[in-house]
Formats: sequence, structure tokens, C-alpha cells
Amino acid sequence: MPEIQLIVLDPSGLHARPAARFVQVASRFASTVRIRSATREADAKSLIAVLGLAIRPGSQIVIATAGPDADAAIDALVSELSPFVSREIPGPPVDPAT
Amino acid sequence: MVNLVLISHSAMLVEGLRDMVVQVAGADVRVEIAGGTEDGRLGTSTTRIAAALRSAVASGSEGTPGVLVLLDLGSAALSLELALEELTEDERARVRISEAPLVEGAILAAVQASVGASIEEVAAAAAGGSTMTKLLGS
Repeated sequence: MPEIQLIVLDPSGLHARPAARFVQVASRFASTVRIRSATREADAKSLIAVLGLAIRPGSQIVIATAGPDADAAIDALVSELSPFVSREIPGPPVDPAT
Repeated sequence: MVNLVLISHSAMLVEGLRDMVVQVAGADVRVEIAGGTEDGRLGTSTTRIAAALRSAVASGSEGTPGVLVLLDLGSAALSLELALEELTEDERARVRISEAPLVEGAILAAVQASVGASIEEVAAAAAGGSTMTKLLGS
């Protein structure tokens, strides 16, 4: 189950437009997509749920996908969010030899 | 894709709301509006609402799941009821009315519609607008 941790950089947090784009991208995949803030977790295919996290600038979020296209989903979501977030700790451990 | 109809006492309000909806949900979602009276005052017009409903129903091809209507206050509901009576039974059958608050409901419904959701899913998304969280910790 791929997971990635991100820091929200946008000064408005994860506001309506990027949140809506995020939900639209998540909805293209069969996998379940969850988004977690420090205190809450939401179904990333639901705008009301994502906006309900009230994600603020500087906060950490975790995106987790599970299902047949979980890897493609996480790649697409990270790419969609890239203007708004910084990628902090990648999900899989980094091989020190590479 | 589900089409939306937005009804308000103010033409400016629904024009602005449509702009917001398009910017948030994308231009693929079809949004018909009926705001103000026919002579440009604040109020609701059965004629305008009926035209918006017909347009939303007609623009949906065979595969379109339906039309979700969101409205503001008071007489908007009465005018909507009268407008629905002007539609044919087939047209009426494709229209669903949302109790959701207009702004929140329109945005939530439009994003849900934009991913190709059913009328039931779009209506459920809009309904979430009644209780949505806006401030952290509320």
C-alpha cells in the first residue's frame, strides 16, 4: 500500500481549487485513496471530506492508496499536487547504494 | 455528466457562482442559471427557471444521468415548483431538487459531477454542504 508524506506549501493551504483537482484525479483510479492530516483522515474522492480536513499551510499530509492501480494513483496525485506541496519523506525506504 | 441548475433572487449571485463552479470543477460541467426577475430586479422568475431547467434537461444526451437543482431562499422554492409544472413528465423525471445551501452545494455537486458520478452521488455530495467544516477545530 503506497504512501507518501507531503508538506503543504501553498499559503492558502489545500484550498478549494487544488482540493477539487485532487478529488478529480483521485476519482480516475479504482484504488482507494485516503488523505490524512495530523488529526483526521478522509476519502480523497470526496471534496467535502477533503475540505473538511481544513488543511493549513505548513501542515503535513499523508496520501495513501490501495488497490490495483495504487502506484499509478499516487504518482498522478503527487504530480497534481506538486505546485502546492513539498515532497518530504518518500514512502518506500531509499536504497543507500543508489 | 449530471447538469446543474442554480436559482437565486440575484442574477449577479448565480453568475458569480457559476464562475466559481467552473473555476473549481472545470468547464466540462454544464451549469444553467436562473437569477432575478425578467425585468432585472431581485426576485425569482418562473419563466427563467423553466428555461434553465429545460435547457439543462435538453442538453443532456441519452447517457446523461440527470439534472440537480440548487436554490437560495423563500420564493425560489415556490417559483421552482411552478416552473416544474411547465415541464413535461419526462423532463420532470430527470430533475432532482437539492436542499443544500446554494454556494457550498453547487461547488460540491459540480466536482462530483465532473468525475462522471450518478445523480444520486451528485445529490449526496451537495447535501454534504449543509454541515461542512470551514474552520479548523469547528
